[in-house]
Amino acid sequence: MSKFIIQVNSPAYGSSSSYNAYRFAETALKNGHVVDKVFFYQDGVLNTNHLNSPASDEFDLGKAWLSLSDRYNVPLINCVSAALRRGVLSQTDANENQLSHWNMEPPFIMGGLGELVIGIESADRLISF
Amino acid sequence: MILHHIQSSPMQSSALKTCLRYIDPSDTILLSGNAVNCLLTQEWQQRLSPYKLMLLADDVIARGLQARLSAYKHIDYSDFVEQTLTHKKVISW
Amino acid sequence: MKKLCIVFRQGPHGTAQGREALDLALLSASFEQEVSLVFTDEGLLNLLNHQSPETIGAKDYIATFGALPLYDVDTILVCKDSMKELSLVEDDLKLAAEVCEPRMIASHFSQVDEVLVF
Repeated sequence: MSKFIIQVNSPAYGSSSSYNAYRFAETALKNGHVVDKVFFYQDGVLNTNHLNSPASDEFDLGKAWLSLSDRYNVPLINCVSAALRRGVLSQTDANENQLSHWNMEPPFIMGGLGELVIGIESADRLISF
Repeated sequence: MILHHIQSSPMQSSALKTCLRYIDPSDTILLSGNAVNCLLTQEWQQRLSPYKLMLLADDVIARGLQARLSAYKHIDYSDFVEQTLTHKKVISW
Repeated sequence: MKKLCIVFRQGPHGTAQGREALDLALLSASFEQEVSLVFTDEGLLNLLNHQSPETIGAKDYIATFGALPLYDVDTILVCKDSMKELSLVEDDLKLAAEVCEPRMIASHFSQVDEVLVF
């Protein structure tokens, strides 16, 4: 059993890398490994926008991440600065910025780059997508 | 022993070209996403021939390239996970 | 403590990679990791003098490269082949970097714990 940290740098739609990240994480967990966390950085934060609305007959990557967190209790963490710059905000961020709307909700959570670094430090492998 | 993970085709990004500048002969290259397309060209078939090469099977199947790329080793996600552990580290270019 | 190598592969201002790579480099160093930087391809252009990113509405993160010594980031490698490709010379670079052959960079990759490419 090994411990992975998975870094997602690509958007949910428009690039296939995030889907590969999801499949890698799910397979690692199914095979009995630990995923310390999935960390969303750069355009990866766009995976956590809950207003993403794919058509009903298309694969919904946002829902897939939620289901992964639900099934395996994996923390899904956003880099807060990368997220704010790209219009992804939690309720707290919206309040702090005097905005009346937000588009990121638990189990996705906002964190700092420090969480990525701590995760890399404790994991056996970092895999970036 | 490094696993070099390439996700974009060389017509899209310099990732593969740059990776080859720093690769060690004992390393492995894993092509996923559009990167699998490069093996349709003679240029990249030749440039990659000295290296241990793997293709992510689902990305090949999705593109209808199984027969065209049948000379290469195709791996599933379980193999991908194992390969990241048998190599010392993964560099995603 | 881990040895983290951050690779700058994209030119500045056209995309956010350079800025977000530098953010991660400084943050990692402040979390007591042993951080090294490698500049390859157009990533070298991050190190040019006389840039004015504000002209195109971009943040001037370039000035922040000057803070690297304060964070004890001392290993800064620049690819000789990319230098040649872009017709740059050492005097064009704003940081004291080590210009090295690709095989030196390859050997550096094999010595660190993780390599993050931006």
